[in-house]
Amino acid sequence: MRKYLLFIILIFLCSITVFSQDLDQIVGSLTDNSSPDYANAAFKGTTIVNGQSTEIPGHMDLQFNISHRFGAINQGIYTLFGIDQGTTRLGFEYGLKDIVGLSIGRSTYEKTYDGAIKVKVLRQQTGVKNIPVTVSLYQAVFIKTLKWEEPDRENLFSSRLSYATQILISRKFNRNLSLQLAPSYVHKNLVPTPEDQNNIFAIGAGGRYKLTKRFSINGEYYWLLPGKTADDFANSLGLGFDIEAAGHVFQIMATNSQLMFARGYITETEGKWSEGDIYFGFNIYRVFHTGKRNKKGN
Amino acid sequence: MIKSYIKKIISVLLIPGMLVISGFQEKGSIYTCRNGQASFQSDAPLEVIKASSKNLTGAINISDRSFSFLVPTKTFEGFNSSLQKTHFNEDYMETDTYPNSTFKGKIIEEIDLSVPGTYKVRAKGKMYIHGVENDRIVRCDLTVSEKKIDVTAAFTVFLADHNISIPSILNQKIAEEIKVEISFSLTSADN
Repeated sequence: MRKYLLFIILIFLCSITVFSQDLDQIVGSLTDNSSPDYANAAFKGTTIVNGQSTEIPGHMDLQFNISHRFGAINQGIYTLFGIDQGTTRLGFEYGLKDIVGLSIGRSTYEKTYDGAIKVKVLRQQTGVKNIPVTVSLYQAVFIKTLKWEEPDRENLFSSRLSYATQILISRKFNRNLSLQLAPSYVHKNLVPTPEDQNNIFAIGAGGRYKLTKRFSINGEYYWLLPGKTADDFANSLGLGFDIEAAGHVFQIMATNSQLMFARGYITETEGKWSEGDIYFGFNIYRVFHTGKRNKKGN
Repeated sequence: MIKSYIKKIISVLLIPGMLVISGFQEKGSIYTCRNGQASFQSDAPLEVIKASSKNLTGAINISDRSFSFLVPTKTFEGFNSSLQKTHFNEDYMETDTYPNSTFKGKIIEEIDLSVPGTYKVRAKGKMYIHGVENDRIVRCDLTVSEKKIDVTAAFTVFLADHNISIPSILNQKIAEEIKVEISFSLTSADN
């Protein structure tokens, strides 16, 4: 008798369920989930502080980069805490198909030109495929164009060259937090003494936390693997923030690296945070779109 | 005695229950659409921004004229640059937090949508965009034919109504009032 009652009530409940199985559920079942849901914009800039992020400019976006680091703040009031001095890098970066980023630049330090390619080989996504990280490969070449110190002896062009290779692995954990790991390799064709390393390995780690939609705090550290370079130079630490405004990203930072290209900040960081060898600086990124645009009146 | 009591319960509860089932499973009363189109245009003094999505899905129950439509906000394509699309998703629509834009409600006019013809109707319901729900009445043009209903509609969405804020530096480039156009075909769910 009780079983019967239960059974009847169950059937009645089922009919109510059908009653409330409304259009929303039908619509939900129609939604196409086959297209991947990419986790875009893990970082606002193509760099986190000094170092590269996994990001590249969007398809056909041309980005103009102005980067500047002032002198060390521990020089005191005489140089207005380093403001009198500074190094600059100017560069352009161009995006192709949201996968490839090409960049060129020139730094005042040793009149160094740099050229690089960054390729997004994996994109963090959910959906049919579940890929937890974005992976970008970064390959850069640096050309020092200072006049030869001894022009009389035989100088090879290849001596001017050095290279940096990075595997950038980032994950956007949520809309605010993104973290990145960056195993890095730097090769220098010519080093000052036979004891200096031609091949240097380092591991970078960085991240950002968005405090508002257009403002984030960023941090980054490059750890040099033990060796002569690690003995002679410091590990790079940079702390800063991003401000995004209408096609611009402003990155303002304090760092112990004065150089703004990968070989420089990974292997030639001289400043020590503990001694106040800290450089203030900024990166300004301005994006121009080079494709067709809907002009007013079209 | 007990058995007849049970029989009574069955007749009192079960039969209306079944009727409810059959009433809402009534064949041909639900029409659905998968790849409807939604597009919008921002017409500001210095810039025109256009984007569209072909991922609008929806359903109408023609027996009670209720409807429900959804477009995943991330699926809008177009824009003037990919950076603009990134800003649309990250800064304005916040698509990670509010993935869908929806409109749910009922057609006001008491028309029989199983009868072929063209109708101008008002769809009244709740429009949910960027996490904010507004009561809206949208005028729609319906063309009903055998087992198919074509719908087009044009309306405007005020950014302020949906708590979408534009930095003042961009108010010459992004309109406060966005024109939206919707177009889709519903087919009987039986097909």
